[in-house]
Amino acid sequence: MDGISYYDLRHVTGEVTHIDIDNSIVESAGTSFFNKAILRVLDKTGWGILQIDNYTPCSGEKFDELLRKASRLAGITQESVSLGDVSRGILPVPRLLEDPRDVSIEEKSSLLAAVEKSAMHPDVVNRRANYVERAEKVRFSDSSGNEYSYEMSRSGFNVLAVASRNGNIQMGYEREHTIHGFNLRQHLDLGKKAAEIAVALLDAKAVKGGKMQAVLDPELAGVFAHEAVGHASEGDLVQEGNSVLKGRIGQRIGNDTLTIVDDPGLPEFGFDPVDAEGAAVKRTEIIRGGIVNAYLHTRESLAAVGDGVAGHARAMPGEPPLVRMSNTFIESGDSTAEEIFAECRRGIFLKGSRGGQVDPGRGIFQFNAEYGYLVEDGQCTQMIRDVSLSGEILTTLHGIVLCGNDRMMSPGYCGKGGQSVPVSDGAPHILLNDAVVGGSGVD
Amino acid sequence: MRWWVAVAWIEELIKEGQKSVDEVEVFFVKGTSVSADLRNQKISLATTAYDCGLGIRTIHEGRIGSSSTNNPDQWRECLTAAIASGRLATPMKWDELPDARQLAQDPLTFDAGMIIDPATARRLLEEMLAGAAEHPATVTSGSAGLSGAEVTLANSHGVRYTDRHTGISLSLEAIVSQSTGYEFDHSWSRDRVNPAMVGERATFFACESAEGKDIPSGDYDILLSPLAYAELLGNVFVPALNGRNVHAGRSRFASCLGTAVTDPQISMYDDPLMPGANGSSRWDAEGTPTRRVDFIRDGILESFAYDIRTASRYGKKSTANAVRGGYGGLPSIGHHNFVVNGKRDTVDDERILYVHNMVGAHTANPMSGEFSVELSNAFWMEDGAFQEPVRSAMLSGNVFDLHKVIGGMSRETRTIGSLVLPSVKIPKQHIIGK
Repeated sequence: MDGISYYDLRHVTGEVTHIDIDNSIVESAGTSFFNKAILRVLDKTGWGILQIDNYTPCSGEKFDELLRKASRLAGITQESVSLGDVSRGILPVPRLLEDPRDVSIEEKSSLLAAVEKSAMHPDVVNRRANYVERAEKVRFSDSSGNEYSYEMSRSGFNVLAVASRNGNIQMGYEREHTIHGFNLRQHLDLGKKAAEIAVALLDAKAVKGGKMQAVLDPELAGVFAHEAVGHASEGDLVQEGNSVLKGRIGQRIGNDTLTIVDDPGLPEFGFDPVDAEGAAVKRTEIIRGGIVNAYLHTRESLAAVGDGVAGHARAMPGEPPLVRMSNTFIESGDSTAEEIFAECRRGIFLKGSRGGQVDPGRGIFQFNAEYGYLVEDGQCTQMIRDVSLSGEILTTLHGIVLCGNDRMMSPGYCGKGGQSVPVSDGAPHILLNDAVVGGSGVD
Repeated sequence: MRWWVAVAWIEELIKEGQKSVDEVEVFFVKGTSVSADLRNQKISLATTAYDCGLGIRTIHEGRIGSSSTNNPDQWRECLTAAIASGRLATPMKWDELPDARQLAQDPLTFDAGMIIDPATARRLLEEMLAGAAEHPATVTSGSAGLSGAEVTLANSHGVRYTDRHTGISLSLEAIVSQSTGYEFDHSWSRDRVNPAMVGERATFFACESAEGKDIPSGDYDILLSPLAYAELLGNVFVPALNGRNVHAGRSRFASCLGTAVTDPQISMYDDPLMPGANGSSRWDAEGTPTRRVDFIRDGILESFAYDIRTASRYGKKSTANAVRGGYGGLPSIGHHNFVVNGKRDTVDDERILYVHNMVGAHTANPMSGEFSVELSNAFWMEDGAFQEPVRSAMLSGNVFDLHKVIGGMSRETRTIGSLVLPSVKIPKQHIIGK
């Protein structure tokens, strides 16, 4: 068709099953259905995109009409777009240890109720547990003749415990999400952990802000890698000039011990067998030995920016692919956790994450721990609550002076451009010098 | 013009559902949107989206079921799934869905003159770029979106409401060295957004924040812009007024009705019929006719927000605060136009630390109200003018506590999403310098 140099179609259908239990009441439970497609057409000057709910696969004149519609949209674009060359191929989707679809919703509901009940405690005033299971069938085809299809199932749950005493309200929150199959049976007492944290936080104190030594647990250190490095390495932001990592390939921004990786092929929660524009997925070392090594790319940002590989395009069903992280982590070093605490001597130990945010152009990030402890003489002492860290991408990474040998990954979701996609973040325990800590405590 | 456009399958769906359950509710939305995105100064892509979604809720002997689909032709499967879902729910006290009422039918958030096409989106981007050119910053990205949708709510008590909405949203990002600026605007009406100002403000903040200096840690009087205030209010304070959170033990206000919870000059209310506002609606997501709800009057907590589900359980009446985030899932408790109001005054004459935006407000503790965030586009301000920019600092505090010491509210108001807010002056807040 005239003017069209490329098109691709990504059609996703599926079901979402959810259960919501709030203080022993099954508030809602059931299944919903979705059917969403996106057709992208690359014309001479840019992309024309159709997002279609309830798409019926079609061919011939009917499909041509969709192409023409998308092409007309591209009529207002002004940018010359090139697409980088990519490797092709699709990874096998890891086998489900137990297919959630083989478990009745009644059984799921009763197992989730057990998780919720395990959060019972005299000081806990509210318990809430949510289960969600998402089965997707993805079909991809493009004008170059590439075709892929695969099915993915993601499932998991959250449990929240709220403790209250004399007007002081605190919460504990645990979550387990996976691509490996139904996981409720293995975690029936996770509510207990949430309750214990919520209750312990009633006696925790607010930390006084300032610069200090901080030990980060694998979950929080993973979020640190995601916020401090991951977003700023996204090729679309680099292309726009909205990342402080632009033009810094080959420059040192951290110590020799620091290597930060994004790997969509890793069988963790952010796994993709093939990316959202049909490129093979590949491990990318964003930082290698403290030096900026590569950006994450789509085909378009690869052609425009270089220095990295494509295969990092991700999208919610029916939404345009964006450069996104998948499984992002700090590689293990050779220190033991004991060595890290001993080296810290006096500071804070921070655990868990309530999320974070970054302004990649400014190079400033913030992230928040669920709780932590003061560290005195290398030992954890008083529990602390509501601690945030902020930092600057180009300087803070130098503060990572020790990396443990105990990397673990944690599942979560990441938002960008109005889309939320499953990711995992991970790291070993790390020691961060001169951490800028925000807290409302006073002496 | 007939406002209820008879859709045969909806009538059939309700009739079919009533064979198995006490009550049936249908929510159907169909719409089209067009958007165009800038990369640097050029339009890089244009999108048209065709949205379509059906949500069904069933109630039988106090058990609530729900399901949704993009395909209205599959309403029978969706209804079956909703009824099956209800069998799993715990039976709870339930009053009933509302009956039909004679409500005025002129749409409140519909701009008949809005043309939803790529050419309009392009013109909006051009106007933003013209505004951006007033300051020497580089535009990194931007977006202009236009949308139109028809929303239908029907239930087995005879409610048949149809409403039409339009929407326009604009945003632009700019940078000077490592100083970023961001601005946005949104409305249901083309005449209520100012694309040139969106562009001008984005490049203004990028330029004005360059060469920022650090400040020492300490306690400072601060002025939160409506944007910064919305981040803290929306993440922490507004959820604490949600009746479901209150009765579930997830709100700090659970036992505070009738007591002072903020400075006496503050009032907070939901005004669903506020002329020209983005969230205005005559009926809520369950079909309950809307009305003004006063949550806090002169600092005293007077009411919480309820939908039918929560109100039924706790012997209350719905305050018509049911909202839907989309066609899927159950309605939940929210608001239409949440207003913070009170005595307005000049708040920027004396030297004060102005905070335009913040990074990380969503990590605030929604139960305790504790937060610590990084500041964005912060300045020393005096006599109504920006003075020296602040490069980087953290602000720590407690969202509930800071409302008890509000030192003043600006004369100007800005709408951020469905929040209608002034700038607020707050004395002695803790800043952590770098």
